[in-house]
Amino acid sequence: MMGMIRSLGLGRRILARRAPEGPLRDYYEAPYPELKADCRDVEFVALDLETTGLDPRQHEIVSIGWVLVRDLKVDMAEHGHILVKPKSGLTADSAVIHHIFDDHLETAEPIDRALAHILPILAGRALLAHHARVEQGFLGAACKAVYKTPLDIMVADTMALERRRMAAQNQAVKQGDLRLDAVRQRYNLPRYRAHNALLDAVACAELFLALVQHRAAGRRVRLGEVAA
Amino acid sequence: MDVELVEIAEFLRSYRPFSLLPEEVVDSLPAKIRLSYARRGTQVIAPEAQAEHLYMVRTGAVETNAPDGQLLARISEGEYFCIQAMFRDGRALNRVTAIEDSLFYMLPFIDFQNLCQQFPQFDYFFAPHGAERLRDANVHGRGPMGQDQDLDLMSYQVSQLLTREPISAPLGCTIHEAAQVMSANRVSCLLICDGGRLCGILTDRDLRNRVVAAGRDLNQPVDSVMTPNPVTIQAGNLAFDALLTMTQRNIRHLPVLRGKNLVGVITNTNMVQKQTTSAVFLVGDIFKRTTFEGLAEVVSHVPQVLVHMVEAGATAHNVGHVITSITDAVTQRLLELGEEKFGPPPVPYVWMACGSQARQEQTSVGDQDNCMILDDAFDEGAHGQYFADLATFVCDGLNACGYYYCPGEVMAMTPKWRQPLETWKRYFSRWIDEPEPKALMLSSIFFDLRPIRGEKALHRELEALILEKARRNHLFLAHMVGNALTHRPPLGFFRNFVLDQVGGHGNRLDLKHSGVVPIIDLARVYALEVGEQAVNTIERLSAAEEGKVLSHAGAQDLLDAFEFISQTRLIHQAEQIRRGEKPDNFLSPEALSQFQRNHLKDGFAVVKTIQSAVAAAHNVN
Repeated sequence: MMGMIRSLGLGRRILARRAPEGPLRDYYEAPYPELKADCRDVEFVALDLETTGLDPRQHEIVSIGWVLVRDLKVDMAEHGHILVKPKSGLTADSAVIHHIFDDHLETAEPIDRALAHILPILAGRALLAHHARVEQGFLGAACKAVYKTPLDIMVADTMALERRRMAAQNQAVKQGDLRLDAVRQRYNLPRYRAHNALLDAVACAELFLALVQHRAAGRRVRLGEVAA
Repeated sequence: MDVELVEIAEFLRSYRPFSLLPEEVVDSLPAKIRLSYARRGTQVIAPEAQAEHLYMVRTGAVETNAPDGQLLARISEGEYFCIQAMFRDGRALNRVTAIEDSLFYMLPFIDFQNLCQQFPQFDYFFAPHGAERLRDANVHGRGPMGQDQDLDLMSYQVSQLLTREPISAPLGCTIHEAAQVMSANRVSCLLICDGGRLCGILTDRDLRNRVVAAGRDLNQPVDSVMTPNPVTIQAGNLAFDALLTMTQRNIRHLPVLRGKNLVGVITNTNMVQKQTTSAVFLVGDIFKRTTFEGLAEVVSHVPQVLVHMVEAGATAHNVGHVITSITDAVTQRLLELGEEKFGPPPVPYVWMACGSQARQEQTSVGDQDNCMILDDAFDEGAHGQYFADLATFVCDGLNACGYYYCPGEVMAMTPKWRQPLETWKRYFSRWIDEPEPKALMLSSIFFDLRPIRGEKALHRELEALILEKARRNHLFLAHMVGNALTHRPPLGFFRNFVLDQVGGHGNRLDLKHSGVVPIIDLARVYALEVGEQAVNTIERLSAAEEGKVLSHAGAQDLLDAFEFISQTRLIHQAEQIRRGEKPDNFLSPEALSQFQRNHLKDGFAVVKTIQSAVAAAHNVN
């Protein structure tokens, strides 16, 4: 239902007015892709975040990796990787998890600069992520903090798509079945040894291609079928 | 490159030709490619579709089919497709279908072109004919080539061993004059000529044994002590053959002729300097043995000869030549011993090698295939027992040496294959005039014949009849083509190799029947078509090219494919011998490098293409 409203553009125009002049308002100026559009014609930004924790209200973004999906192909020519400087510094835990240390963050940008970088890339496109709630939550929280305006964005979630497929085929979902690596294996996708925001974004983009092709079985797939 | 994408660059780098590019170039590629995914069973590329990328399989596998549906290849991880489209303005030639869920890396045409322009090795890898890659593989894939002097004998012609003009003296000179010429020129042998034609040879040893020791008058004419009509060799022969001749005849000097003109002399010091293969000494040894056991002992060294030659980087052609010369020598020696035992032959005969021995393509001590052509003066009642005894003696001897009895009984000890010339002419006339597929399969072994010992004119007469009849009989040729198509190369491989019913042996690849034999069969058809006497596959293919039944490119491609597949097989066999196993023709896919796989595939593709062309030319389905 939200999708329908969004595609009518009402929410977008309201939010465009609410957002201060700058990257977020510019973002809202561009129309969302249409739900009835063929996925071939939609541009997706596969995006992955690394964060200091799981709660967008108290944790922060450390890095953003993204790559473009266009014509249902991953276009590696359009990719990026941004290191973000958390205000609170890194906790020991997240540093260990992501192998990121304070000195690595010397080249990192503050979150407002990072948003100014990423929002134009998201404009007019759909966001693609595995377990997109994390990306949506952290980007939204950052937008609220920086622009006092929430982030509304069309999202396709590879985890949700796979969960739906398994449910439709009456497959029981066991713990870990929906992890990115586990799902990718089911679609004969390569196993990556490293984990970083960019490579995980690529991994998610590849998985999305696989999910769409499996769903398509020769016919076209509309954005509305895969958008959350 | 973002360091985050290093895994993609690493993947590229683990396959040719990306492995041949500078590191920074490969590092720049992940940011240039696109990734696409195909579900199993879906079409990736349609024939004539616009393909703007070179595809590399990241995971999964695809099949390419010709527009008519013919399966061309299976392409798996790390392999490429849409290569041909890169050379025809991006128009795809074949249909590509995913046979597994697959992820592809797609390199844009423009980047492909840039890499081709900047890096010849990249260009070369994808050059329109995979066969070119094959040529390259034959040159570069051969291990420590060129470092080992042993093999030079196989690549040198006799003429290349000649270092100086021949030193000669006229027939009318005295012993004293001859010795002065030798001394002045510091040579150990003098060629004696009569009006420019070689008529004798005088060596240091002759001077010692026949002049000094015999107390002969030095003013006597030289022809009283020279060796008249010496054994000679043609300048175009292989150095190996020269050494073989010298060893067999136990001579140290071999005059070299070009046509009838004397061009030089080679000495065994020439040869020893160039080093020798142990095969030559085996052959020398064979002629000293007098018993089956003795011969078997010599033959037991053959596997080591194979290993030695393969290690030294010999071509498959060279190996075939050398191993076969050992079989020839054993056969000749057995016939000598047989004639000593049973007496001289009552009527002339010629002992013929059939099959791989005839073609000089043996790679191991295998089953024997032979027959005997007897003079038409042969009378069963009067001479039957003699030839039965001789043939049985030789076949038994071969068997004792490890050249086991032919399971199909194609042996001279079988009465049917020990017949007078007239009968042989009848056999061949029937095979050619009334070809029957089954009979032909059996008899195709007889279309590869080479005389080993005896009256070679008997064979020449039969050969003339075969060549004359065969080339004029289209139905026969068509049957031979059909026969040549019975063994098909495996159409492709991926992961565990795709093995069709022909190529499979368990899950291993039969290099002999799926690679070597189809080419041998094709060469035989071509030779019969142009009336060529040669039976060696390489010589036949060259003759086919000269006779214009095979294009230059086609001939080159087949020759390269033959060499590469044969060599892969030899390397495999050499490894088995080293491990103490019995050599066979079955290769497991794990044993192959990516490089070998690619080139084997190219080789099989060449064979398939030529098979189709021959089938079409003869209206054979």
